[in-house]
Amino acid sequence: MRPLLLAVLAAYVVAAIHAVLAFVNKRRSLQQVSDWSMAVGFLLHTAALIADWVIDGHYPLFYLRETLSFLGWTLVATYAVVLYRYRAQALGAFTLPLVTILTFLALLIGSRDNTAVEAGGFSTSWLFPVHTTLLLFAYAAFFVVFSASIMYLLQERALKLKLFGAIFHRLPSLAAVNEIASIAATIGLTLLTLGIVAGMLWSSARDGRLWHNDPKEIFAGLTWLLYLLLLVYRSTARWQGRRAAWIGVAGFALVLCTFFGTRLMGGYHVFG
Amino acid sequence: MSIVLVGVNHKSAPVELRELLAFSEEACTAGLRTLVDGQIVREGLIVSTCNRVEVLSAIAPEQLNEGADRIIDFLSGSRNVPREFFQQHVYHHTDDEAVRHVFRVASSLDSMVIGEPQVLGQVRRAYSLALEAGTAGRVLNRLVHHAFRVAKRVRSETGIAANAISISYMAVELGRKIFDSLKGRTVMLIGAGEMAELSARHLVNAGAARVLIANRTEETAERLAQEFGGEAIGLNELSDHLAEADIVICSTGAPGYVVTESIAREALEKRRNRPAFFIDISVPRNIEPAVGELPNTFLFDIDDLEAVISSNIREREREAERAELIVNSEIMQFQQALRALDIGPTIGALRQKLQEIAKLELARQRTRLGPLTKEQEAAIEALLVATVNKISHPVLSQLRRSYDASDADTIQAWRDIFGLEE
Repeated sequence: MRPLLLAVLAAYVVAAIHAVLAFVNKRRSLQQVSDWSMAVGFLLHTAALIADWVIDGHYPLFYLRETLSFLGWTLVATYAVVLYRYRAQALGAFTLPLVTILTFLALLIGSRDNTAVEAGGFSTSWLFPVHTTLLLFAYAAFFVVFSASIMYLLQERALKLKLFGAIFHRLPSLAAVNEIASIAATIGLTLLTLGIVAGMLWSSARDGRLWHNDPKEIFAGLTWLLYLLLLVYRSTARWQGRRAAWIGVAGFALVLCTFFGTRLMGGYHVFG
Repeated sequence: MSIVLVGVNHKSAPVELRELLAFSEEACTAGLRTLVDGQIVREGLIVSTCNRVEVLSAIAPEQLNEGADRIIDFLSGSRNVPREFFQQHVYHHTDDEAVRHVFRVASSLDSMVIGEPQVLGQVRRAYSLALEAGTAGRVLNRLVHHAFRVAKRVRSETGIAANAISISYMAVELGRKIFDSLKGRTVMLIGAGEMAELSARHLVNAGAARVLIANRTEETAERLAQEFGGEAIGLNELSDHLAEADIVICSTGAPGYVVTESIAREALEKRRNRPAFFIDISVPRNIEPAVGELPNTFLFDIDDLEAVISSNIREREREAERAELIVNSEIMQFQQALRALDIGPTIGALRQKLQEIAKLELARQRTRLGPLTKEQEAAIEALLVATVNKISHPVLSQLRRSYDASDADTIQAWRDIFGLEE
């Protein structure tokens, strides 16, 4: 549904620009424009995904273009939840530009990547879409951890060095970003665990093997370990605050490796 | 009608003079009744605060000079201060500039501390006194209400009142930045200076649940403990209780460090690394600077606080520039509203008068026309209305043009020609 996705892109561009302006300038009216255009974009995006599903006949999360678009959709959904729960509008200045880029790339790639494996073989089991969907939501949660960690580090530095720029006043409090990061990490890890388990079940049903040792799986395993470590240490109060935030940033680097692992290194996983 | 503002403020006049010119509330209403004579000064309002004494009035445009003179005389007479004493300190604004001044005052842009919230209430009070005295009429009513609207817009659309600019309030603002909400937090006062007490009061108002007070003289500690519903602790028990405190305000006169890095580190461990916020407003400093380097611990000494405050003041000044733009656009809107207000009745009266003439003539000639159908009758009426409108249209346009050009004489001439009463 290309025309629909174009409309989605337009709405996200407006939302992203206003979110960044609201972040720099702190204007309530700008924030409202951002919120509303994001809501419109999200509804259209949902419609576009459903339309793709109906028209193409497979779950719209297989080709690279679909994955990018779907990832954008999960990011918006996750941001909306955080916005509702914490009023952390600053997160929009991080999330919405990324979502815009993802949507743009999805449009740019268009239908050129249908050269990949036929989707038919993958859509036979319901486990495959569950596997991919869970993992994309896990990535979105980890992006929230990453953004919140960056906000934590920026503010902690400002408070320690007593350097207060304009941006300092726009960020949510230390306690708030700390809580957001910690909850998002818990949710992300849960989704990652479930996603990996779903993938293993699917794979064992397909060819009897749970693990293929391909780069994507290895990185996913490392990511899983890192976030587990983060949560364990957080709960024992050893890694509060700054150190936890650094792990949140480092963890996202691993997430990126996991996401792009196959592209760079090949292996059993095709994509998504 | 022209708007004239005459007054002195903290920038134009020294406090001794402002004191002399200040009005009590009773003097205000009584003074307004003498000032507003209905001849020269049509409407009046007095804003009198510790930073300003201003007389706002509506005066007919051709009597501007007499009007301003009358206000100066009034100030001199009613306050018993010779003109020569204050004349060189008085500023004097007319029309747009007067409107701008009123908007700026109400929005706290003309205040000593930009963005302070009291001035709007003072303007509100001044307005109700003028209403009481019966000296606020159509022009000032509209102006003051518009000023309230501008103040509201400035407050919500700019950050002129956003960041703390006093040390005592800084504790709340930084506390919120660290802990998000201060609800349920524990505050510890070490030493009970005036500033520490004020900060604690702000923190409690913002939701802090518990106050611990450690002070050299126990009576003071007990008194404060009672006031805040807190607990007094001995200075020697400090290290036992430090771990309970989320926010520590230190202001003793001790010559050395009262909170050292080692006891702060110990407390941090007991707190399981939960963040702690230390404020040291004592000179010489009472909290070892190394405390600020501990993880999850934030230490602000008096210089740090002053630096933040001056940066907040600069931020307010930047925001004030944006507020001026709002004021500018509102002045234009106000002038338009005022114009419509003034020219409206004249145009309405003129239209009505001409239509009445037409109706009267029709009634007089109606019998001569004999029996007519409904349609014919309606057609004749429509013809008359249209003719009158066509003829009066250029007159009305000319009236509006004269009004836009503030040409009161021409407007009056038209009123005279058509015999419209005031």
